[in-house]
Formats: sequence, structure tokens, C-alpha cells
Amino acid sequence: NYLMTSFERQRMEVNVELRKAKKDEQILKRRNISFSSMGESLSPEQEKKNAVSTVHCCLSLEEIVQAVNGNNPELHLKATQTARRMLSRQRNPPLNQIIEAGIIPKLVEFLSRNDNVTLQFEAAWALTNIASGTSDQTRAVVEAGAVPAFVALLSSPHMHISEQSVWALGNIAGDGPMYRDSLIHNNVIPPLLALVSTSSLVFQVGFLRNITWTLSNLCRNKNPYPPLEAVRQILPVLIRLLKHEDKDILSDTCWAVSYLTDGSNDRIHVVVETGILPRLVELMASPELSVVTPALRAIGNVVTGTDEQTQMAIDAGVLTVLPQLLQHPKPTIQKEAAWTLSNIAAGPCHQIQQLITCGLLLPLVELLDKGEFKAQKEAVWAVANFTTGGTVQQVVELVQYGVLKPLLNLLSARDGKTILVILDTISNLFLAAEKLEETEKLCFLVEELGGLEKIEALQTHNNTMVYQAALGLIERYFASEVCGLSQLLPSGSMGRTVITCDL
Amino acid sequence: MFLSDFRKEFYEVIVTQALFQCDHVQYTLVPVSGWQELETAFLEHKDQIKLLIKQDDDLEIPAYDDIFRDEEEDEDDSGNESDGSEPSGKRKRFEEDIMERTMKRRQRREWEARRREILFDYEQYEYHGTSSAMVMFDLAWIMSKDLNDMLWWAIVGLTDQWVQDKITQMKYVTDIGTLQRHVSRHNHRNEDEENSLSIDCMRIAFEYDLRLALYQHWSLFESLCNTCYTSASLKLWSVQGQKRLQEFFADMGLPLKQVKQKFNSMDISLKENLQEMIEESASKFGMKNLRVQTFSIHFGFKNKFLASDIVYATASLMENIEKDEPGTDNFIKALDSLSRSNLDKLHQGLELAKKQLRAIQQTVASCICTNLVISQGPFLYCYLMEGTPDVKLFSKPVSLCLLSKYLLKSFVCSTKNKRCKLLPLIVAAPMDVEQGTVIMVGIPPETESSDKKNFFGRAFEKAAESTNSRTLHNHFDMSIIELKMEDRSKFLDALISLLS
Repeated sequence: NYLMTSFERQRMEVNVELRKAKKDEQILKRRNISFSSMGESLSPEQEKKNAVSTVHCCLSLEEIVQAVNGNNPELHLKATQTARRMLSRQRNPPLNQIIEAGIIPKLVEFLSRNDNVTLQFEAAWALTNIASGTSDQTRAVVEAGAVPAFVALLSSPHMHISEQSVWALGNIAGDGPMYRDSLIHNNVIPPLLALVSTSSLVFQVGFLRNITWTLSNLCRNKNPYPPLEAVRQILPVLIRLLKHEDKDILSDTCWAVSYLTDGSNDRIHVVVETGILPRLVELMASPELSVVTPALRAIGNVVTGTDEQTQMAIDAGVLTVLPQLLQHPKPTIQKEAAWTLSNIAAGPCHQIQQLITCGLLLPLVELLDKGEFKAQKEAVWAVANFTTGGTVQQVVELVQYGVLKPLLNLLSARDGKTILVILDTISNLFLAAEKLEETEKLCFLVEELGGLEKIEALQTHNNTMVYQAALGLIERYFASEVCGLSQLLPSGSMGRTVITCDL
Repeated sequence: MFLSDFRKEFYEVIVTQALFQCDHVQYTLVPVSGWQELETAFLEHKDQIKLLIKQDDDLEIPAYDDIFRDEEEDEDDSGNESDGSEPSGKRKRFEEDIMERTMKRRQRREWEARRREILFDYEQYEYHGTSSAMVMFDLAWIMSKDLNDMLWWAIVGLTDQWVQDKITQMKYVTDIGTLQRHVSRHNHRNEDEENSLSIDCMRIAFEYDLRLALYQHWSLFESLCNTCYTSASLKLWSVQGQKRLQEFFADMGLPLKQVKQKFNSMDISLKENLQEMIEESASKFGMKNLRVQTFSIHFGFKNKFLASDIVYATASLMENIEKDEPGTDNFIKALDSLSRSNLDKLHQGLELAKKQLRAIQQTVASCICTNLVISQGPFLYCYLMEGTPDVKLFSKPVSLCLLSKYLLKSFVCSTKNKRCKLLPLIVAAPMDVEQGTVIMVGIPPETESSDKKNFFGRAFEKAAESTNSRTLHNHFDMSIIELKMEDRSKFLDALISLLS
């Protein structure tokens, strides 16, 4: 089928519809004038009607209900259009009133009126907006049987109809996993994916954006996750969409991938085996925040997986991009970058080595020192994981990069959990020092940097685990036997004893 | 008034000039060769410009409001829309014709998306409406200032569209009908004057004549060989084709020696009933449409020209490469040639046209025989290399277009590949060797039900954009562009993936 024929058809029909819609609009507008020019004082009933229908609408809700249930097709259209108008206004669109008027089943019926494309369009738009509301409001639309009708309209020869259906279905899917899966069982995916092909061909970015957003909703939500089979069908298209240049499309696609990677390792596997990682890493370096955020999230999810999956992310170049993200002006990006780093640091030592060779240590330490608090917390975890899994040599290198100072500074944090992690880290550092027989050196450093003071102070922390950990550290490494010094007196007696260490 | 394209509105100028002369109206004639010049000239003359469009033509111009928003542009919302927040689970679609100042950027995007769709539909295809020459004639008629001369120019305008294959058969026939009524009206009145042999007197007649290019000013043989319809149908680039040609003449009882002579020198006995004879034989050889409805002009003692003769002649004059003169000079020359007092220019044009048609035919034959037309997937492609004979001729848009049309028609007749027969064609030729530029044209597929609508304009734009190719889309016919030689491959690659 040569490209031109469907083009031609679509093009002609859209134009006819536009002209027709314009004409109808004119009719309604004229009626507006005559109504509002009546200007009598309004009875309470009239006022109630007007609360629903503003100056822009000429039919009252009652008239809409009558028209919609009647047999006059022209009135069907007028009523639907009026309803659509009400539902599209900025302030307080009367979603509940329209639902209570009971016209939704009729609107759904109008979706199947292939003989009247304008009617289909107006109904689709009206229903889209009702479905954009609360869960109850979306439910009203679904329970009236809108889903199969909209799925059918995805294959409409009229682009504006299929687009509106995409939108409506996006709203329904976005309500939650239940409707999402209901859509999938109603076979929404094949026609939706087919639309990606045709809309790319027709250079329809707006349309493609809508489809991408709806697809992202089909990937979204947990409890349960989307069916694996559906995910497998959608992934190739997501990969294709990732090659697009439009930032909104890229953003929504990355969000979709981030949802798909937010799960068990099996879920991560399905995504990474498509080879999507290099492109995702590339997008992490995008100048657009709206693209960076979900791309980073997706990769961050991937490295919560197995060592092999993490390695795939490393092989895709994540470590080259991560440093700049650790220094990103946006705090949330810093935080997520640090979180990603912390998960990589939780891996085997050959991956930790890659962290070193790719120059992640300096930005990590800087983040620990000057980052936003939430980012600092993640950095603490990164350091902790590093010292747990790293070889002695790797740990030494971390210390050489100056991690100790900012680490100790964070002991003044309020967050007990963070403090515990830091104390744990310090303990790891001492374990490494022991292996090198350089414990004294470390003691000296810690004390010089004011760390000892802080650790001592923590012995009176209200968190049991904290003070026990602090105590443990002091006893083990700062007691006089180890350093060859006088015994530390418990607090409360005669003040502090100055401790010195032989170098 | 504007002359936006040497070809399209060329004939219209004549009509308008005459009209203005009638009314002693001052006018400025500004020939422009492309969009850039049009813009400049527009700005210079904008107070005096009026746009003329025929109402019946279904132009599908979008409503103003759909494309333009007169309110102040909203300041872009800094903030929410461009941050890293997660997409909303649900989205409402807002009213499009209530544009408040506080409208959110997302709503604006919806409007813009719709606008893009409308503009896309509008701009997607290029095609030709009613010949502007005919429009001008219509105007003249309404003003009751129509003259036979003007009618002739309207006829030539229409015939030009047909020669260049820019309109459908149906449109052509419809417009012929319209013009025929005018012809009857004018030339019936002048019947008495017919007998006067004054050089000023001219007569237009309706003809159902052979569509063999320039045949009355050439030899039948040459004309048959160099007319696309016959050459493609008989496949004259092949040996069997040549044989078929001879059989064709034999079937008509026309000795080769005769048909190779100048037409006017042919034996009168052979020219009797020539048209019917050729038509009969032609249909035996698979050519059912050898005759076409058209008009002829008679003036002076023995001057008779078919509308198509004039078309070919003026076209060649306008794109004359023999002297390296700027386009506007050629334009004026061509303009002059239409005046009946400049017969020598017309004859010059005819000779140039013969050269052009021969060159086209030979190029087509060579391309087909050496398989230079290749399928790129979504379209066919042919590149005329530097050094190809007559390639300079094809550095001009109309000549290149004509060549492309003929090439495609011939290719379709020559290939057995069913799929290739349905493909559009892109032809490229060197334009300016020094500057390293190439001229490229895209034409729609050769199908019976073709509506002659061309989407290459848009496709070329997109391909140029995505590859940062250095292109010039200056021709009014957007399916003709110029680009740098070095960018040719990546441009084509982009086109291929765009259209696949």
C-alpha cells in the first residue's frame, strides 16, 4: 500500500471535519448571544442551571440530557459539544454533575458512531476529561464500557479521533494497575504500537507525545506490575522512541523505562537484555532536566540489580556520566546520582575498582563535603558500601582522597541512621588500617580532624545503637593500650584527658 | 502584480499587461525566480499588492484562527513544565478557543500540536490549481475586456500545465471545455473577418490533434522519436523498439523517406487523413491516446501553431543556456516571443525546443539502457553525472522536471518490477560545477489515478534539517531544491529512512 493513499484519505477527512466543526461552533455561538441577551432576573432554579452552564454554553444540563437521550442526531452533537465545553473549562468543570446526570453511557455509545466523526470526537474529548478526574470519576467512564470502544477507535482512519482515544486510554491506565491491566486485556497494545509507526511517518510529534505518555502509564504502577508479556511487547517501541529528538517524548519514554526497571531483578533483566542501556546513559547527559531525571532513575534502578546487570550499566558508560551529575545544580539529581553510586559501590571489588579508575572518588568526596543534605546521606552510604566491599588498597585510596574529614563532619547530623552508617564506616576503615598496621596513623587523623571529639560525644546519644557503636570504637581503637596512652576516663569524671599518639 | 514563477504565471502576465494597457493602468512587472526574491520584492511593493485566487478551486486553506493567535504570546512558564517531575497520571484536555493569559504551557502545546497538524496537511502536498493565465482571462472576461489574444494566452497557460504533467487528465479536460466555450464565442464572431489576410488577424480553433511534439514544424519521424508518449510506449531506446517504429510507419503506409522530411514538405496525399490513420495504427501498437483535445492559432498567411508548440518554444527560451544570460533576460525574450510580431523569436524558440526534446530523449534512453535508474526502497533515483552529454541543459528546473517526467514514464514502461512501477522518482544533476551544487527534483509516481500531488517539498525540508545539509529551497515548486554535492549522500540516506 503506497504511503500516499492513506495520507490522502486522512488529509481530506480531517479538513472536512475542521470545516464542519467550525460551522457547528458558529451555530452554538449564535445561540449564546440570544440566550444571554435575555437578561431577566434568575430564579433559583435558573441560577442552579447556570452554575453548571456558563455564558459559553447554551444548553442547560437538563437540555443536554434530553438531547442525548432523544433521537435527533443534530441535537446529539450539540449536546455532546456543550458537555465537552463544560468539561474543558479551566475553573471547576462540573465532572460530578455530568456523571450524575447519567449521560456517560450515551457518550460511550456515541464513540461507535462511525457515521458521525464530529460526534465521536466530541464524545471522546468529553469522556477524556471525565476520566482525568478522581478514581471514582474514571471509574464512571470505565463502567460505562468506554474501554473497548476507545480501543476500537485507536484504529480510526481519522487521526484526531485516534489521538483523542490514546489520550482517554492514557487517563484510564493512569488510574492504577487494575485499569491498566484491564486495558491490556482489552488488547490496547497492538493498535497503540501500530500508531507509533504511522505517526512517526507523518511527522506528528504532538500525536507521538500523546502515545508515549499513554504507553508510560501502561508501564506504570506496582502491585501488581504490568504483565511481563505486555512489557515485552512495548519495550521495542520504547527503544525506538528513545531515538527521537523531541524532549517530551524522550522524557516520558525514560519514565516508562524507569517504571519497568523498578522491580525485581527479573524485571530489570527484561529491560537490560534489549540493549537499551547505552542510549539511557547517553540521555543521562542530556541538557534537559526532564530527560536526565528519569534516565538517571532508570539506570539507578538497574544497578540495584545483580552484579551482572550492574556491570552492563558500567559497560554502557554510566561511570563517565555520573561525575557531572554528582555536581548537578539540581539537588535531586545529586541525590539520585549518589544513590546510584552507592549501589555500584556495593558491588564486587572489580566494580569498585572501576569507580576509582573512572574518577568517581573526587566528586564523591566533594559531594560528601558540600552537597545538599539528602545527597550527603546517599554519599555516606556510598562510602560505607565502598569500605565494606573494597580491598585494603581501595580503601586506602579513598582515604587518600580526603574522605575522612567530610565523613567525620557529618557525625553532627541529627539523623541517627546516618550516624550509625558513618560509625560503621569508620570501623571498616580501622579494619583496613589494622591489616596495614597503621591504626595509630588513623587514630591521629581522626583526632586531628576533630572526629574523636564527635565520637566521644556520641557516647551519650539517645539512640542505643549509636552510643554502643561509638563506645565500641573508642574502646577498641582509642583506648590507651592500643595507642600506648593513658586510659580514657569515662565522661563525668575530671574532664577530658588529652590523648596523644605516637606516629 | 507578482509573477511568482517564470512558468506558472508567465502567461498570466501577458493578459494582465494587456488589461492594464486597456485601462491605462500603471503597473510594475517584477519577475522573480524564487521565494527569496519574492520576499524582497514583496516588501518593496507591499502596498500595491493584491492576491488573486479562483474561488472554485478547492484550495483548502486553513482558517486564520487555526494558525495564528493574535494575543500576546504567553511568557513561557518557567518551572513546572521543564523540571524533572514525573508525568501526571491523568491529564485533562482544555478548551482551545479560550486563551487566557494564564493558560498553562501544556494547553498551549495542545493548540500548537493541532496547528502543526493543520499546517502539515496544508503544506504536505504541492499541486497546481487552475492555471493563473486562465484566472486572469476569467477576470478579463468578467470585466468584459477579454480579447482573443488573451484567450490564446490562457490556452497556452493551460497547455503548459498539461505538457509538464502538473494537472490531472480530468482537470485538463474540464478546463479545455471552459476555454472551448470562449473560443466559440470569440471566433464565431470573427468568422467574417476570417477571410481577411491581414497580419493582425488571428483565429483560434479547437483541435483534436496528435500529441506529437512540434510535429508540424519538424518531421514526423523526429517528432515521434522525441515525444515521450510514443517513445515510451514503443520503447524506442531498444533495438526492438526501433524495429517497432519502422513497423508502425509501414502499417500506415508511410515511406521512411517521407516521414523523415520536414512535415510541410511531405506529400500532400500522405497528409490527408493523417491524424485518423496514425490514430488507428497507434492503437494497434498499444497507444490509445495519441490524439488530444487542444487548440491552434492561425494568423498571417501561413502561420499555424498548436498551443503545445508555443509551450515548448517559450519554455526553451526561458531556460536557454546557449548564452549565459541572467534569467530575467530570458524571461523578457520569452515574453516577447509570444507577441505575434516577434515570429523570429518564436522560431528560435522552436529550434531550441527541438534540441531540448532530443537531448531529453537521448538522456532517457541512455539512463534506461545503462540502468541508471535505481530503486532506493521508497523511491527511484537517478543521478546524471558530470560529463553526461547535455547535462548543462538539465541544470535548469523546468528542463530537469520534464526530463524526470519522461524518464519515469519510460522507466515504468521498461521495467517488469511491479513494485518499482509505483514508486516516485528523484533525479539529480550537477547545477553549478564551480560552486559544487546539485539540483534535485522529486516527482510523484506514474499511476493512472494519480492526482499529481507531490509530497517531496516537505520531505526534502525534513531531510535537509535532520542532516544539516546545505540546501536551497528557493524554487516556488518546493519539490525542486539545490544542494551541495558533498551533502548528497547523507541527504539521500535521510530521505530513504524518512520515507521508509
